[in-house]
Amino acid sequence: MSAYPSEQPEHPYLSISMPGKFFKRYLSLFCAGCGYGIIGHLFNRVFEDEKVDPKLHPVVIGIGCYGQILLTLHHATQRILTLHGRAPALATGMKMANPKMKPIIFTGDGDSLGIGGNHFMHICRRNLDCVILIFNNSIYAMTGGQGAPTTLFGAMSSTTPYKMFEPRVDGVKLALTAGASYVARTTVAHPRTLMKYFRKGLKHKGTAVIEIITPCITYFGRKNLDSLGAENLGIKGQKMDNTGIMIDWIKRNSVRINQAKFMTEDELMNKYIIGEFRYDPTKPEYSEEYEKIKKIAMGEK
Amino acid sequence: MSNIKGKRYLPEGKHVMMGNVAMSEGALAAGLDFFGGYPITPSTEVIEHLARRMPEVGGVCMQMEDELASINAVMGASLVGAKSMTATSGPGFSLMVETISMAACLEIPFVFCDVQRNGPGTGFVTEPHHNDLGLMRFAGNGEFGVIALAPMNCQELFDLTINAFNFAETYRCPVFIVSDAYLGHLHEPLIIPPKEEIIKKVIPRELPDDLTHKFTYFDNKTKTYIIPKPPIMGTDYVPLMFLHQAHNSSGMSSQREALPFTKMLTDKLTTNIDKISITEEYKIDDAEIIIISYGLPVRTSYRAVDIARKEGIKVGILRLITLWPFPDEKVKDIVKDAKAVIVPELNYIGIIAEQVERVTDLNIPIIKIPKICEFHHPDDILKVIKEVAK
Repeated sequence: MSAYPSEQPEHPYLSISMPGKFFKRYLSLFCAGCGYGIIGHLFNRVFEDEKVDPKLHPVVIGIGCYGQILLTLHHATQRILTLHGRAPALATGMKMANPKMKPIIFTGDGDSLGIGGNHFMHICRRNLDCVILIFNNSIYAMTGGQGAPTTLFGAMSSTTPYKMFEPRVDGVKLALTAGASYVARTTVAHPRTLMKYFRKGLKHKGTAVIEIITPCITYFGRKNLDSLGAENLGIKGQKMDNTGIMIDWIKRNSVRINQAKFMTEDELMNKYIIGEFRYDPTKPEYSEEYEKIKKIAMGEK
Repeated sequence: MSNIKGKRYLPEGKHVMMGNVAMSEGALAAGLDFFGGYPITPSTEVIEHLARRMPEVGGVCMQMEDELASINAVMGASLVGAKSMTATSGPGFSLMVETISMAACLEIPFVFCDVQRNGPGTGFVTEPHHNDLGLMRFAGNGEFGVIALAPMNCQELFDLTINAFNFAETYRCPVFIVSDAYLGHLHEPLIIPPKEEIIKKVIPRELPDDLTHKFTYFDNKTKTYIIPKPPIMGTDYVPLMFLHQAHNSSGMSSQREALPFTKMLTDKLTTNIDKISITEEYKIDDAEIIIISYGLPVRTSYRAVDIARKEGIKVGILRLITLWPFPDEKVKDIVKDAKAVIVPELNYIGIIAEQVERVTDLNIPIIKIPKICEFHHPDDILKVIKEVAK
C-alpha cells in the first residue's frame, strides 16, 4: 500500500459512474449500509463490460429510495424517473414505439408489488422484452419505514408497531404465475450471482424479472432482530443495526432453490428462496408478435 | 372502408363517419404512431377503430390493463419520439390526471381525447355532460397550463385533431379534445382534404439543429419563451436525466427554479394566446345580446339566433374553439358593450360561464342555460333571448 492517496491506483470502474466521470470520486445519497450502492455499482460493471448500448437500453426508474440511484449510474445511460409504480407501463410504451429498445426497469417492492402490482403482472403476462430489477428491502424506506407488502411476518415497522400480521407477497411467485420467461432471485450478499443473472437477463429475449434482496438498516434492521425467519428455532436474536449483522442475516435467511424443494412450508416461512426459477427463451415475445400482426394487417401474411 | 387498407390518409372527398372514427382518422392524418387506451363508454369506438387501422399503417395500438397504464405507455411512446394519444371518458380521466401532471412537468407532448359522459360517479354512460372542463384545466397536482379544443361536428373532430397534434408539438403541453357522448356517436358527412394539404399542415416530430436546450426557457433578449422540440430518448438529444421536479432548460433541477419554472408552464401558453386561441363569430358586429358557447350547444344557438334575428332582436354568437387557455382579452373586447351575455352549456355550474363572469363587468348580466344528458332545443335559447330583449 502506498502512503499517499494520489499514488493509489484508480479503481478501474471509478470513471464510469456519473460522479466518477465528472468529479473523479464516488458519490452516494444512500444511508450507511444500504444495498443500493452495491446494486448501482454492479449494474455499472455489467453495463461497461458487456458494452451495452445506452441508447437502446433506457433506464426507467420508479419511486423509492433507489430513485437516487440515478446519480450513481453509468454516465452514458439515458434515465428517466417515473411515477410511483408506473415504470413497467411507461417502459411498455417505449418498447412498443421503438422495438429496437430493451428498457431496464428499476423498481422496488412497494413500487412493483404494491401500487404497481397490476402493471408488473401485465408486463410479465405480455412477456415484453425488458429487464425488471426488483429491489426488495421489505420496507417502505423512503417515507420512513412503513410496512410494505413484502414485510416479513412478525416484523416491526412504523405502521405495524406491534408486529406485522399480514401475509407477504412473493414477487417471484407472482412473476412466475403471470408468465415472465426469466425469473430469478438473488441478494446483494451474492454480488457475482447478481451480475450473472443480470447478464443473462440482458441477453434474454423476453421479460427478465430479477428480485434482489437488499438490506435497509435505518428502517428495517434497527427495529428488528436477526432471529426473524428463524422463529421455529426459538433463539434470542440481536438488533440488526449494522451492515455486518444485516448482510449475515440476509445470507442466513436465504435458501437455495435446490434446498427449498426438501423444506416444508413452515420452514420456508419468512425465508428468501434464491436461484433461477424459470428460463424459457422459447416463449413468444410481445413486440415480435405485434410485428407479425402488423404484417397480417398490411396484407403481407 | 376496405379500400383504404394500409393507407394512413383517407381518399379525399366526402365521407360519412362517426365522430369517434373521424377523430381517430384525424389523428392518423396528423401522424399518430402510438395509441394506448382502455375501453370506456362512450370512447370505445376510438380504440376499436385504431386497433384495426394502426397496424395497417405501421403504428401501434395497445389495449393496456387500465387507464393508468395506458396514459403512462402513451407518455413512454412520446418520450422515444412517437406521436401518441389516448382517448377516455370521465372516470378514466380521473385515473389519468397523475400522469398528466408529470407530462406537463417534463413537457412531454401528447393528445388526450375526452369523450365526456354524465357524472359524477359512473353516471349515465351514453349521455353528454361537459363536466370535465374544470378537471382539464386543473388536471393533476401542481400548476400548469393546458390547451383544450372543442369541436362541434365530425368535420371539426377531424380538422381540430390535426391542430391538437400541432399544438402539442409546438407548445409541449397536454392537449385535450373536448368531445362528448353525443358528438362521439354522431354520424355525419365530412370532407377529407387532399393528402398533400394535410402533410403541409402537420408538424412532424424531428430532431432540432440546436441540441443545447431540452426544455422551455425564457430568452432575456427577446423577452419571450423559447420552446425547443421535445427530447427523444435513444438519440443524443436527451437531458442528463428526466427528473419531474422544477428544472432549467437542460434538465437540472433545483428549488431556486421552482418559481420561474411554474411561471413558465403557464406563461408559455398565455404569452402565445394569439396563436393558440381560435374563436368564431356569428352576426356579432351589431349584436346587443351575445351568446358565448362551445361544442354542441353552438349548433342550436345558430338556429335560435337566426329566428331571433328575423324578429328583429340583435343577437350574435361568440363561439369558443379553444377553451383553455381562456381567451380573456377576446371575450372582454366582445362583451364590453353587450346588454346581456347568454351561456348555454351542457353542465349545471357553468364552467365557462364562470370564466366569462371573471372577465366581464359586473353590470352585464350573465345568464346560464344548463342542460345535462340532453340537447338544448332552439326554443330554450330563444325563450331566454326574448326575455332579455324585453
